[in-house]
Amino acid sequence: MNDSLLSSWVEWTPALLDGLWTSLQLTGGSLAIGIPGGLLLALLMSGRSRVVKAVAIVLVEIGRGMPALVVLQLVYFGLPSAGLTFGPFLAATAALALTTAAYTSEILRAGLQAVPAGEVEAAAALGMSHRDSLRYVVIPQGVRVAIPALLGFSIQIFQATSLTFTIAVPELLGQAYSIGAATFRYLDVLVLAGLVYLAVVLPAGSITRLLERRMGRHL
Amino acid sequence: MSHLHAVLLGVPWTLAVMLAALAIGAVLAVPLAAARRSRVAPLRWAARLAIDVLRGIPPIVWLFIIFFGLGDKVLRLGPFQAAVLGLGLISAGYLAEIYRGGLTAVHKGQWEAASALGMGRADAMTRVIGPQAFRVALPGATTYAIGLLKDSSVVSTIGVTDIMARASQDARSTSSGLTPFLLAALVYIVLSGPLAWLSRTMDAKLRARVAR
Amino acid sequence: MTLTTGTSVVSLRGIRKEFGDHVAVRDVSLEVPAGEVVAIIGPSGSGKSTLLRCINLLERPEAGRIEVLGQAVEPQGGVSAAELAKLRRGVGMVFQSFNLFPHLTVLRNISLPQERVLGRSRKEADARSLQLLERVGLADKGASYPSRCSGGQQQRVAIARALALDPQVMLFDEPTSALDPELGLEVLAVMRELAADGMTMVVVTHEIQFAADVADRVVVMADGAIIEQGPPSVVLTAPTVERTKKFLRAVMDR
Ligand SMILES: Nc1ncnc2c1ncn2[C@@H]1O[C@H](COP(=O)(O)OP(=O)(O)OP(=O)(O)O)[C@@H](O)[C@H]1O
Ligand SMILES: [Mg+2]
Repeated sequence: MNDSLLSSWVEWTPALLDGLWTSLQLTGGSLAIGIPGGLLLALLMSGRSRVVKAVAIVLVEIGRGMPALVVLQLVYFGLPSAGLTFGPFLAATAALALTTAAYTSEILRAGLQAVPAGEVEAAAALGMSHRDSLRYVVIPQGVRVAIPALLGFSIQIFQATSLTFTIAVPELLGQAYSIGAATFRYLDVLVLAGLVYLAVVLPAGSITRLLERRMGRHL
Repeated sequence: MSHLHAVLLGVPWTLAVMLAALAIGAVLAVPLAAARRSRVAPLRWAARLAIDVLRGIPPIVWLFIIFFGLGDKVLRLGPFQAAVLGLGLISAGYLAEIYRGGLTAVHKGQWEAASALGMGRADAMTRVIGPQAFRVALPGATTYAIGLLKDSSVVSTIGVTDIMARASQDARSTSSGLTPFLLAALVYIVLSGPLAWLSRTMDAKLRARVAR
Repeated sequence: MTLTTGTSVVSLRGIRKEFGDHVAVRDVSLEVPAGEVVAIIGPSGSGKSTLLRCINLLERPEAGRIEVLGQAVEPQGGVSAAELAKLRRGVGMVFQSFNLFPHLTVLRNISLPQERVLGRSRKEADARSLQLLERVGLADKGASYPSRCSGGQQQRVAIARALALDPQVMLFDEPTSALDPELGLEVLAVMRELAADGMTMVVVTHEIQFAADVADRVVVMADGAIIEQGPPSVVLTAPTVERTKKFLRAVMDR
C-alpha cells in the first residue's frame, strides 16, 4: 500500500460517504414501507379466509421469486409505459420495498405463529375481538420474535441497494463507479467501496447475532 | 411471442453462469469450511475473514472489482469468465458456512465411535461424517442455489447476455416497457420451480435412506 | 335435577362435539343454577375440557343448544361476533397453562381486557385491577412481568384477569394441574373464597379433595358422556356406577 493510494482514498472518501448516506436512506425507506407491507401480507396469510390466504401466498411467492434487479428495472424502465413514472430514488425505494414486503412477510409470519395459541384463546375467552387480540397480543409478540431475522434481512437489503446503480441512483457503488470513470482507477476506488460496505455489514451482522443470542435466552 | 423468444435467449447463459459458479463454490467451500473448523487458530481466523469479506461485499461490487478493477490491468477476463469467477467465490463463502452447519450438526459421538472403531480421521470424514453432514447441508445448499439463480441476474451489468440483459435489450429496442421485464420475472420463477422440486425429492430420498 | 332454564346460569342441551370421526362429547346436557359450584371429574380424554370449552364457544359443538345467562345461541348456525362477545363477557375462564400475556405487566394483563371489552378508562381499569390483585393476595405484583411470578402467582393473576370483567360464571380447566402441590394450594384457596362469595363455578379438576370440600355437585364423565352426578358426599364416597368406582380408586392410589 503506497502513499498515493492512501491519499487518493482520503480524497475519495467524502464522495463515497455521500453515496453511503444515499444507500442508507434507500435502505431505511425500503424497510419503512416494506416491513409494514410484509406484516400486512403475513396477517393475510395467517388469516381465516381461504381465498385471501391463497392470494397473499401467490403474491409473496411471486415477490420472492423475482430477482430484485428485475423488480428494479421493471419499476424504473417498465412502469413508465404503463403511465407510472418515478425518479430513480423513488423507483429504487418502491422496488426494494416490494422485495422487502415479500421476504419479511415470511419472517413475520413465523414470528406470529410463535405466539402460543393458548394466549390467543385466552384473549378470545376474555371476549376480546379478533382485531384486538391481533393488535394487543399477537402482533407485539410476533414482531418482537422476528426482530433478529428482520435485522438480518435489513443487512441484505442494504447490500441490495448497490443494484440501484443500474438505474443511476448515486449510491455508494454509483459514486465509486463515477470516480473510476473519471480517474481510470477502477480497482482502487472499487476496493475502497467494498471496504465501506464491509464496515457497515460486518458490525451490523455481529449486532444481529448478539441480539439473536440475547433474545434466545429470554424466550 | 417475440418478446418471450428474446428473453428465452438468455436462459442458457443464466444457467451456465449459475451452474459454473455453483461448481466452483462447492469445491472451494470444502477447504474453507475445513479451515473454519481447524485446530490451528490463525487458519480459523483467516477462513472466517475470507468468508466475511466474500459475503459482506455485495455481488455487483465483486463483479465490478473483478471485471473493471482487475480487468483493467491485472487479469483480463471476458464478462462470462469474470461473472463465473465472482459468483463462484461468493458461493464458496456461503456454501462454506452451510457445510460447516452440516458438520456441526453431526453428533460428536459419531467421531468418537469412528475412532473407537479404529478409523483414521480421513476415513471417518469420508465414510461416516461426510455423508451425514451432506444430508444436513443439502436443503440449505439448494435454497442457496435458488437464491443464486436470481442473484445471477447481476451479471447483466458486466455484459453477460443472460435473461436480465436480454429483457432490458428487448425493452429498449422495442420500446415496449413492461412486457419483457414481466416475462423475465416469469422465466426466473419458472426456472426456480424445478430446483425447488429437485431439492424436495432429493431430501425425501435421502431421508428415506437414512431412516432405513 | 329439576331445574328450569330460567334459573340456570348455564344450560347445555344435547351437546355433541366431534373431532374428525372421533366423538369427544356425546349428547351431554348440563344445567348450572346461579351460585352452584359444579366439579367435573373423569379419566383423561373423557371430554371434560371439550365440554367446558363448549360453554364459551371456544369449541363449536356439532349439535345441541347452549344458553348462557339467558342468552341462547345455536352454535351450528352462525354466531355473530357481537353475540360471541356478549356471551364471553359474562363467562370467565381460567386455563391449566395460565395463558397470561408475557409481554405485559401483571397490571396490564388485568386492565387491558377491561379497557377493550368493557370500555373502561385506564384509570378505572387499573383501580379495579389493583382491587382484584389485593383479593388474590398479589397487591405488590402489579408492576412485575408474568415471567417473574411463580406458577401459583401467575394462575392467581389469571383468575383476577377473568374476574375483572365481572363475569356471572367462572370456568376452570384443571387450574392446578401444572403447579407444584404447595403452589396449587394458594390457587385453591382463592377458588374456595370465590365459591364462598357465591360465584357460580364449573371446575374441571383432578383434586378430589377440593371437589369434596367445595363443590355442590360432582359430575363424572367418561367417553364423552356424563355417567354419574350428584352431591359429593354421594358420588365421591358411595358411587353407584362401576366406572366411577374404578376411576376414584385409580385417583386415590396415586
Ligand atoms: N382440538 C382437538 N383436535 C382433535 N382431537 C381433540 C381436540 N381436543 C380434544 N380432542 C380429543 O377429544 C377427546 C376429549 O378431549 P378432552 O381434552 O376434552 O379430554 P379431557 O377429559 O379434558 O382430558 P384431560 O383430563 O387429559 O384433560 C380426546 O380424545 C382428545 O384427544
Ligand atoms: Mg382437559
